[in-house]
Amino acid sequence: MFKNTDLKMQKNLVLVTFLFIPTILISLFMIYPLIRLVALSFTSWDGLNPTKTFVGLQNFKKIIFDSPEVWVSLKNNGVYFVGHLLFIPIELFLAFLLDQRVRFSKMFKTITFLPYIINTVAVACMFIFLYSSQDGVLNSMLQFFHMDKIGWLSDPKIVNYSLTGVSIWKFSGIHIILFLAAFQSLPTDMIEASIIDGASTFKQFYHIVLPNIKPVVEIVLFLNVRGALQIFDIPYVMTSGGPNHASETFTIQTINTAFQYQNFGLACAMAIVLMIIIIIFSIIQKKLFNLKG
Amino acid sequence: MEANLEIKKETTINITRRSGSGGGVLKILLFIFISAIVILPMLITVFASFKSLPQIGSESALKPPTSLNFENYKEVLKSANVFIAFKNSTILVVASVVINSILSTMVAYCLTRFDFKLKKAYFAIFLVGLIIPGIVTEISRFGLMTNIGVYDTLLAPILIYAGADLMQIYIYNQFLQQIPVSVDESAMMDGASYFTIYWRIIFPMVIPATATLGILKAVDVLNDMYIPFLYMPGAEHRTLSTLLFNCISDPRTSSIPRLSAAAVIVMIPTLLIYFIFQKYIFSGIAAGAVKE
Repeated sequence: MFKNTDLKMQKNLVLVTFLFIPTILISLFMIYPLIRLVALSFTSWDGLNPTKTFVGLQNFKKIIFDSPEVWVSLKNNGVYFVGHLLFIPIELFLAFLLDQRVRFSKMFKTITFLPYIINTVAVACMFIFLYSSQDGVLNSMLQFFHMDKIGWLSDPKIVNYSLTGVSIWKFSGIHIILFLAAFQSLPTDMIEASIIDGASTFKQFYHIVLPNIKPVVEIVLFLNVRGALQIFDIPYVMTSGGPNHASETFTIQTINTAFQYQNFGLACAMAIVLMIIIIIFSIIQKKLFNLKG
Repeated sequence: MEANLEIKKETTINITRRSGSGGGVLKILLFIFISAIVILPMLITVFASFKSLPQIGSESALKPPTSLNFENYKEVLKSANVFIAFKNSTILVVASVVINSILSTMVAYCLTRFDFKLKKAYFAIFLVGLIIPGIVTEISRFGLMTNIGVYDTLLAPILIYAGADLMQIYIYNQFLQQIPVSVDESAMMDGASYFTIYWRIIFPMVIPATATLGILKAVDVLNDMYIPFLYMPGAEHRTLSTLLFNCISDPRTSSIPRLSAAAVIVMIPTLLIYFIFQKYIFSGIAAGAVKE
């Protein structure tokens, strides 16, 4: 047994040794960049020049009033957001079926989650072939049915929907697994009771199960806001924002503003605008969701 | 944790038994349809990787290759440095998983066992971490990485992957809370110090959680394209993801059959991890979300 004073010393020693490195890493790689992001958003820094000129709210003014392309790119993010949102009820229902009502559930669960595990760049390569206008799989199928070819990735009106399709293909699995985990954490008798009552699948789902997994639905809705507003890899790898900026998302524009056009100050302001949009959107969505539920 | 999973499994089986197979055929058909949507793009890619370019143009993509022609794979291995990419990705995965599991359990141990001044700050940071959009904040992290001299070295991604994974600390925190403090206390009666308790009792007890979180982390690191792309532009520092990204624009590998072969090579490590450690992956995701 240690004496109390010994214990206190020991406790402090543990705290210092255990927290020293993590605290430094978190401060250095998370908190400091965040503070720097805010500070730089008020400058016109180009990323190289040692002097950073303070320009006040000019960057934010420019984004809001003088950057139509930013708002167009946000509209593209909107396509991803709505696409995924429409799939959430379907994902919920599939998870519900996987939880109890299908034979081979385990195998289907494995397959459903498969796309999420695959390397995003590999996914992009797969769909580049599928969408290709020359030898593409989808266009060959259309030809087979004597229909016109579609410029899946080359038509500015269609490209965002094609890319959203890839995103849904890749990310639906994680939503289904999250919902499934939620269903499985429910007490068995809750569902059992409703089966004995003879409640139909849909009624049972809507009135008994759904209210009880609300927290997880909220998490998925939040993840969707964050994911859709931050989508980067899929459009960047598949179209690099083209044709003619038609599939640029907010993050692609921010990254290009910083690293291609060397306008770090403006890019930092864009990052902050994105953060604010994510927060506002999440709050609105949560309010709406609770109103309905 | 293990016991918990066991119980969950049992309940699922119970429900399945009780609800019978009413209307099962339609549901099975639905899942077969979904499985086809998931598997077909992958199958088409594997097929294409064994075909020649003229075959791609003339044959149906769904037609299996007539022979196992490894020409495309050979060409990819020749023009892209796959082995270096494998090596780099492996180093990143091992370093991130090991460092991360040790640092995160240490933080979680302090957070669940002691009261101290920084504790509230740590919990506040968890919340901030949820809201921060990762990709765009790299803009301000970028300068820091060049300043501390890790730009275009493997250290840059390692520091980012291993250093501040708040989600993992958070999940470890949940696991450690489930270990009763009486375990610590009885060890102390026997004269164990806090260090011994952490290293001999707590760390071994959360090994199931470490397996889960380590595997999830490994998949994340293997699949991440953006951080290696941003911080390691040098050809000798390519990872599997950035190698494949480069293959898309390299004329030697950008044709559909070769790109398919490259994609298959890059997919293999994560697929293997997935099929072997599936159980851990699912329980890890469940732990992250349902307990929040």
